[in-house]
Amino acid sequence: MAIKPKIKELLDESSCAHNQVRKVACNAPTPGATTGGCAFEGAQISLFPYADAAHLVHGPITCLGSSWETRATGTSYPGRDLTRMGFTTDININDVVFSGEEKLAAAVDYIMAHYAPEAVFVYATCVTAMIGDDIDLLCKQATERHGVPVMPVHAPGFVGSKNLGSRLAGEAVLMHLIGTKEPEETMAFDINLIGEYNVTGDMWQYTPLLEELGIRVLSTLSGDGRIAQIRTAHRAKLNVLVCAKSLVSLTRKMQERYGIPSISLSFYGKRETSTGLLAIAAALGDQDLMERTRLLVAREEAKLTEKLQPYRCFFKGKKAVLNTGGNKTWSIAAALQDLGIDVVATAVKKATEDDREKARQALGENGVLMMNPGSEQAKIIEETGADLLLAGGRSLYTAIKKGIAFADVNQEKKKSYGGYDGLLNLAEDLKSTLQNPVFKNVARRAPWEE
Amino acid sequence: MGGVIHKRNKPLQVNPFKLSQPMGATLAFLGVDGCMPLMHGGQGCTSFTKVFFTRHFCEPIAIQTSAVTDAIAVLDGGDYSIVESVRNITKKVTPSLIGLHTTGLPETKGDDIRGVAAQIDYPLVYVNTPDYEGGFESGWALTCKALIEQLVEPAKGVDDNKLVLLPHVSLTPIEVEKIKEFIEGFGFIVLALPDLSTSLDGHLGDKQAALSSGGIAVEDIGRLGDAGLVVSVGDSMQDCGAALLEKNPEMRHHHFPHLQGLEATDALAKLLLAETGFNGPPLDVARWRKRLQDAMLDSHFSLGQSRFLVAAEPDQLAGLCQSLHDAGGRVTAAISTTDSPQLVKVKADKVLVGDLEDAEQLADDYDLIVGNCHCEALAHRLHKGLVLRGFPNWEQVGNALKNDVLYEGGCYFLFEAANTATVTRDMRRGARTL
Repeated sequence: MAIKPKIKELLDESSCAHNQVRKVACNAPTPGATTGGCAFEGAQISLFPYADAAHLVHGPITCLGSSWETRATGTSYPGRDLTRMGFTTDININDVVFSGEEKLAAAVDYIMAHYAPEAVFVYATCVTAMIGDDIDLLCKQATERHGVPVMPVHAPGFVGSKNLGSRLAGEAVLMHLIGTKEPEETMAFDINLIGEYNVTGDMWQYTPLLEELGIRVLSTLSGDGRIAQIRTAHRAKLNVLVCAKSLVSLTRKMQERYGIPSISLSFYGKRETSTGLLAIAAALGDQDLMERTRLLVAREEAKLTEKLQPYRCFFKGKKAVLNTGGNKTWSIAAALQDLGIDVVATAVKKATEDDREKARQALGENGVLMMNPGSEQAKIIEETGADLLLAGGRSLYTAIKKGIAFADVNQEKKKSYGGYDGLLNLAEDLKSTLQNPVFKNVARRAPWEE
Repeated sequence: MGGVIHKRNKPLQVNPFKLSQPMGATLAFLGVDGCMPLMHGGQGCTSFTKVFFTRHFCEPIAIQTSAVTDAIAVLDGGDYSIVESVRNITKKVTPSLIGLHTTGLPETKGDDIRGVAAQIDYPLVYVNTPDYEGGFESGWALTCKALIEQLVEPAKGVDDNKLVLLPHVSLTPIEVEKIKEFIEGFGFIVLALPDLSTSLDGHLGDKQAALSSGGIAVEDIGRLGDAGLVVSVGDSMQDCGAALLEKNPEMRHHHFPHLQGLEATDALAKLLLAETGFNGPPLDVARWRKRLQDAMLDSHFSLGQSRFLVAAEPDQLAGLCQSLHDAGGRVTAAISTTDSPQLVKVKADKVLVGDLEDAEQLADDYDLIVGNCHCEALAHRLHKGLVLRGFPNWEQVGNALKNDVLYEGGCYFLFEAANTATVTRDMRRGARTL
C-alpha cells in the first residue's frame, strides 16, 4: 500500500485556488444525479497519448471495451501507434473468484512478446481493486522480467471523478518514470508540456512556434509523447501546464523535488495564445528570448488578422449566445470575439467564481451572464436577435424553434481550434454553420400541422 | 462448414470489439417508453455507456448511475445507493419505469438487488448483468427476460391476431420496424419487446426528453400474455420466448436464428401464411422477394470474387454470413464477441470467439471486413475494404436506418457489400499499376 498515492492528499491540493475556500465533500457523487466520467477514465485520458507504451486495463470489458479509440489524440510516433490499440484482461467470473493475477502477469508477457512497447501502464479498475489483485507486486516483477517500466495506475473508477484520476495518473508518472533517465543533452530553453493531450493535433498548432523560438519541448504529459522523454522530464527548466488544473499536484511536486517552476496557460484563441507564448518566454527569463517572442507574436497576430479579415466581414454584426460551463464560458467567448462575433450572453451556472469574473470581463457590462440558461436562453435569443447558439445537444431544440443556427460545443471536434491557426478552423466551421440553411429548413411545419 | 473455436487461450483481449452485459441492458431499457435506465456501479460505467450510445445513434441517451464510490462499496449492500438514486431521479422526472441493472462492482461484493427492489415503491425492473460474464447480446436478452418475468401479467386464452416480436440486440431500429411491418402485412397486431424502432430511430421530437422517447409502453408489456404468437429472432432471445410461455402456456413460440437472406425470410413468410391461412403474401412482399433474387444475381459476380472477414455479435454474425454466402461471398473467417449456440451454424470457413488482433493475424485470408468502426484502423493499414456494421459505428451517421433484414434489407446489404468489394478491387489494382 505504501507506494500507492494518497487520495486524500491529492484531493487537498494546496496549489488549487479553490482550496482556499472550505468545501464540503466535493468528491462524493450523488446517486441518481451524477454525470461525468470516473477516475479510471481520467487516468486513461492523461496517459493514453503515449503511443509507444501499452495501456493494459485490468478489469471487466466495460472499462476498455467502451472507451478505446474514443479520443483523436494525434501522434507522430513512427512505430506501431499503440494509442489506436486496446489491451484488457477482460476478467471473467473465475478471475473474480480465484484472482486475476496470473492472467495479468501472462497478459503483460504477451504484450511484451508481441508489441515490445517502451513501457506498460497497468490500470486497476473497480473490480480488480476490490478483489485485491496485487498489481504493485506483479508490475514490479514484470519490470524486472522485461527490463522496461511496467507501472501500476491506481485509479479504479470508484475512487472518484475524472479529475482525480488524472491526478493519480500524474502520480504514477512521477513515481515510476520522471527522473529515471538522463537526457542526451540539455538545452537552455527545455520545457515540459503537462496536461496537453494533443486532441485533434492541438499542440501542433503552436509547437512549431516554440521551435522557431529555440524552445525545446523536452517531454510531454502526454500529447504526442514518448516514454523515453518523460523519463528525462526532471531536467526541464520549466513546466508548462496547459489547460489542466488536474495535474497541478504533479507540477508542484516537481518544483519541490527538482526545483522546476511552472506556469499555467491555455492556447485557445488569439489572445490566450499570445499571452501564453509571452508567459513562457518570461518564465524562462531570457531577455533576448523575450524580445524574439514579442516579434513572433506580433508577426503571427498580423498574419492571423489578415487571414481573418474576410471572416470578420462575414461575422460583422452577428450575435451569439453561449451556453456551456467551466472555463469555456469565457474562453470560447473570447475566441468568438476574436472573430468579430458579438457575444451577447454566456451561461455561468456551471462556472466557478473566477470563471464568472472572467466572463464578465470578456462580455463587458451589457453582456448577460445567464444563471439559469435553460429557461433564459430562448428569451435572450428573441430579445437580442441572436444568429447563433453555441451549446450542448439539449439546446438544439431551442435553436430550431427560434430558427437560428446551432453549434454543439460538446461534440467531439474533428479539427483543432487551438493556437493561431485553430482560430481559422473555428471561423470556417462557424461560417459554414451560419450559412447552412438546414436549421430553417428543418423548422418547416408539416402540411398537416399548418 | 469449418470448425468452431469456442475458447481462447490468450490471457487478454487485444483490440476488443466485445461489449459488456450492462451496456446491452441499458439499450434494452431504452426500448421501453419513458424509461430511465439506472446502472448500479461506479459512475464511469454509466458515463462511458452514455457517450458510447450518444455517438453511435447521434441522439441524447437517458441513463443514470447509482455512483458507487469506494467507501459506499464497502459499507452499502445497494440499499443506500439504489434507494437514494430512485429518490433523486424521481425528484426531477417521472419515468414510467426505472430499469435497474448491475455492473461488475456490486456483483463482486454481492449486492442483493432483488431485495432492494422489493423495498422500492416505484415501478422498477431489476436485472443482474455483471460485466465479467456474458456480453452485449446476453445483457440485452437478460433484460428482456426480466421485463417479461417482472411485468407481464399471467393470462389465460389468447388473441390469435396478436404477436410478440423478440428482436436480438443487433437489429437496428429500422430493422425492428421493417420486421413489424412485414408481419403486420399479414394482419397481425405486432408488439416488439424491446422496441427501439420508435425510440432510437432518430426522430426530431418537440423537445429533448430526459427519458427514453419512445419504445413499447409499460402497460403494453403487462398485457403481452394474451398474444397468440411469439416470434423470437436471434438465438440469444430464445429463452425470452420460453419466459413468455411461462405466463401463458397457450401462446405458441416460433424461433428464427436470424432474418437475413432469402431462406430465412421465406421461413418467416411460410409461418405467417400457415398461421393466417392466406394463399399468398401482401403484394409488396412478393415484389421484394423478386427484387432480392435479382439483387443476388446482380451482386454475385463481385461477391463471388471476394473473401470476407465478418466480426460481429453472434446473432448478427449468423445473419451477415448467411447473406454473403448465399450470393457467393466467401466468408473465410467469422469472429464472434462471445460464445453462442449460433456459432456452429455460421456459414464460414473458420469461426472463432476472439478479438480484432485475431482478425489482423488472419489478414491474408480476406479482402473485405464487415464489422464495427474499430475495424477501420485495421482496414486502412492492411488496405481492406470495409462494410461498417454493429456497435459502435462512430464513423458514419444514419446507423439507426441501416436495414439488412428480410427480402428488402437483403437487397441493400448485398449491393453495399458488392459495391464495396468492387471499389476495393479497383483500388488495389490501381495501387499495383501505380
